[in-house]
Amino acid sequence: MPSTILLVDDSATILMSMEAILHKAGFTVAKAACAEDAITQLNGGLKPHLIITDIHMPGMSGIDLIRKVRTMPGLQFLPILVVTTESQQAKRDEARAAKATGWLVKPVQPDDLLKVVRQILPNG
Amino acid sequence: MTTPSASANGPPHSPIERIALLRLAVAALVFAGSAAAAIVAVGGGLTTTLMASVLTAVGVTLGYLLGRRDGPTPRAVRLLLFKVADELAQYRAFTRLLRDQGERITDSTNGAAIAIATGLKEMDSNLDRMRTTIDRATAGEDSELKALVDAVEAPVITLLGQLQFQDLTQQQIGFLVRLSLIVDQHMIDLAQRLGDRRSMDRIENFKEMFNKALDDCVMTSQRDDHHAAAGLDLHEARGPKVELF
Repeated sequence: MPSTILLVDDSATILMSMEAILHKAGFTVAKAACAEDAITQLNGGLKPHLIITDIHMPGMSGIDLIRKVRTMPGLQFLPILVVTTESQQAKRDEARAAKATGWLVKPVQPDDLLKVVRQILPNG
Repeated sequence: MTTPSASANGPPHSPIERIALLRLAVAALVFAGSAAAAIVAVGGGLTTTLMASVLTAVGVTLGYLLGRRDGPTPRAVRLLLFKVADELAQYRAFTRLLRDQGERITDSTNGAAIAIATGLKEMDSNLDRMRTTIDRATAGEDSELKALVDAVEAPVITLLGQLQFQDLTQQQIGFLVRLSLIVDQHMIDLAQRLGDRRSMDRIENFKEMFNKALDDCVMTSQRDDHHAAAGLDLHEARGPKVELF
């Protein structure tokens, strides 16, 4: 059974682009246009094997989403990748402190994305 | 658009002008009172009248000098300030245009990127179906046609990845829009203060406002550009593009 990846980004282009790349590689993809929508889907029973989130989104930020997910039952150890244009070390440290699994700077080459995802989900 | 020039030809009603006029009136009253006292004290007709006139003139002059010390700006200077303020207000039309054009670029590239992504996904899906059909027709044997389908499909994923340019462009334009808002606010502040030369010191320095915009730079390239614009030869470390914690 293919692994499910939840993509969280306010950019429709990024969602479409990454969904196509991951879907083509055999993953099941769920999408959320904001952190709040992602939380709603998780509360609604979605059980992803990996979350890939942007940082700068209207409303709740990606870092806050990570913090929130870490408090949800059964999701403390769910891998969460940050994909963002943000490149300041301070933000990376913030993501690390919030217990993000990794950090990718946009634009992400499809090969790089799949390599990292397969590293995290070897059986995906 | 309301500009300070709207009040340029009206009566002098600014707070400073009112204070100056009040001082002048108080001084005149004080010395007029002194003159009246002199009348009572001296009692002489001509002497009293002369003294009253002199004291009143002194009072008016003193009041005028007191009022002028930090009072009304000369009319010519005031008109010049209003003219400058009016020009500043007109610059805002340019920053507004810059923002509107930025939003149009963002909207059009967003629409185009989504259309391209949709087309690429459709193409990819059709190529998958074609491959299945070829497999079925050739009983799974390799064929030139199948190799051709693979070749056509190969760049699709790379092209989909390239579409991330739209998100980056949108963020870069968004940053320029926020910078233009800083310029806008500074122009509003300047225009408002031009009628009050004592409050010029209270306007935030543009350099400080510009420096604060660095907090808004999320990309290393933006931060490097900001440093260069601020006259600093500073290049920040980019860090790895991919990092697992």
